[in-house]
Amino acid sequence: MEYDKIFNELFDADGLRKGYYKLDGQGKYVLDTNPTLGEAVVNGLMLTELRTHLEESRKAVHAGLKSPLFYYMELRQFDLPTLAKSAGIASFRVKRHLRPEIFAKLKPSVLERYAKVLMVTQQELKTVPDI
Amino acid sequence: MTTELTANGKPFVHHHGAHCETAVTSALFGNQGLDVSEPMIFGIGSGIFFGYLPMVKLVHLQVTAFRNKPGSVFRKAAKRLGANFVIKTYRDPQKGMDELRQVLKAGHIVGLATNLYWLPYVSERHRHNFGGHNIIVLRETEAGFRISDPTFDHPMDCSADGLERARFVPGPMNPRGFMYYTKSVQPHPDLRQACIKGMKNSCGLMLRIPLPIFGVRGMRFLAKKIIKSPDKLGFQEACRSLAGTVRWVEETGTGGAGFRYMYAAFMQEAAELFGSDELARLSRDMTAIGDTWREFSVTAARIIKQRDKEAETFAKAGGLILKCADREEAFFKELQKVVKKLEA
Repeated sequence: MEYDKIFNELFDADGLRKGYYKLDGQGKYVLDTNPTLGEAVVNGLMLTELRTHLEESRKAVHAGLKSPLFYYMELRQFDLPTLAKSAGIASFRVKRHLRPEIFAKLKPSVLERYAKVLMVTQQELKTVPDI
Repeated sequence: MTTELTANGKPFVHHHGAHCETAVTSALFGNQGLDVSEPMIFGIGSGIFFGYLPMVKLVHLQVTAFRNKPGSVFRKAAKRLGANFVIKTYRDPQKGMDELRQVLKAGHIVGLATNLYWLPYVSERHRHNFGGHNIIVLRETEAGFRISDPTFDHPMDCSADGLERARFVPGPMNPRGFMYYTKSVQPHPDLRQACIKGMKNSCGLMLRIPLPIFGVRGMRFLAKKIIKSPDKLGFQEACRSLAGTVRWVEETGTGGAGFRYMYAAFMQEAAELFGSDELARLSRDMTAIGDTWREFSVTAARIIKQRDKEAETFAKAGGLILKCADREEAFFKELQKVVKKLEA
């Protein structure tokens, strides 16, 4: 996979450049804005991974294997313990809520807690986008 | 470099920096009339560090820290330079935001710790759930706040909701509205004394912590883990955790290698300050250490891209970290000796 390519595309698009200390010709340290190969590859890898995870979770929700909560958890880069702690709901309950049949029966008050933490509306939380 | 106005109409020059916290600290001091460069703050605040924390996991990956814990650089630098400063955290977001507004109105510029994922202006490439990103708030505007984020090269606008969210993300990495600013600074602090303190402290942190996960010992611990990882975890998973490590070496803050270069830059400035050839030589050593870290990340990148499977192995990557550990140990032992000879 050409991970650095993905990185470079985004790099050109957003224009948010970071600084790096580098030696100039006279052996003095100066600030430079060109990213290194290592960063490009790793960042590209992480981005690809996040995107594939997100896409897989979306498909899993459509296939009825997971609840939409799972998709939004991936979208916000939470893992299970983090989500549980943020929402103030025990992690074994959150785990149960990832099953679609149990998620469908949740009370609005519980949904509201998830919606608040994940920054989506309750309506959005019940569905995932079709692409 | 752009000039902005703060709440009480004073000009503020936005400097692009390599690392968020040191650059913020440098800018806070600069705004009060004390010009200290970013690497200098990094050295005085004893920013350089190594810690491999297998028990702390961020999105399934272990944390490898290349600098001291968030907040400590500002605290140490401010103490050593004799500044009068305030550090606060909050439980209640509303109170945190109200106090921020009050302090801004009083004419201060304020440093904040925020979660990088929830800052509205950050692009997809930089977004990850990391709760220790430092920014400066300059003033309140109609739409929210004017922000100088030294990681990027120009000031930004940020909505009030977004900022509140980023300051108070619930969960384990909660910054709890961490807020800091300087009330006043000494215009002519004793830089030499501060540098010596910073260097001594760094030596202690790197060499003397009696736990296997910090300092030079931590590097060796990590190296052994990496060498064993393909047998233990399988190739795919090992690649993932290696990528996680490289992410800490290259990306977070200014990356581990970046911190080494920054420390080298500090040594360079200190060498000029003290007129010491030994410090200049140590600066070159530190550059070489930074290069070794970078070599590690290139090797790791090749492993991940599966180029040249014969030559680029996990054993080689681990070996490079061991080499870094040996070199850093030698470096800090040498620095310990050199510091003793320096006079404040």
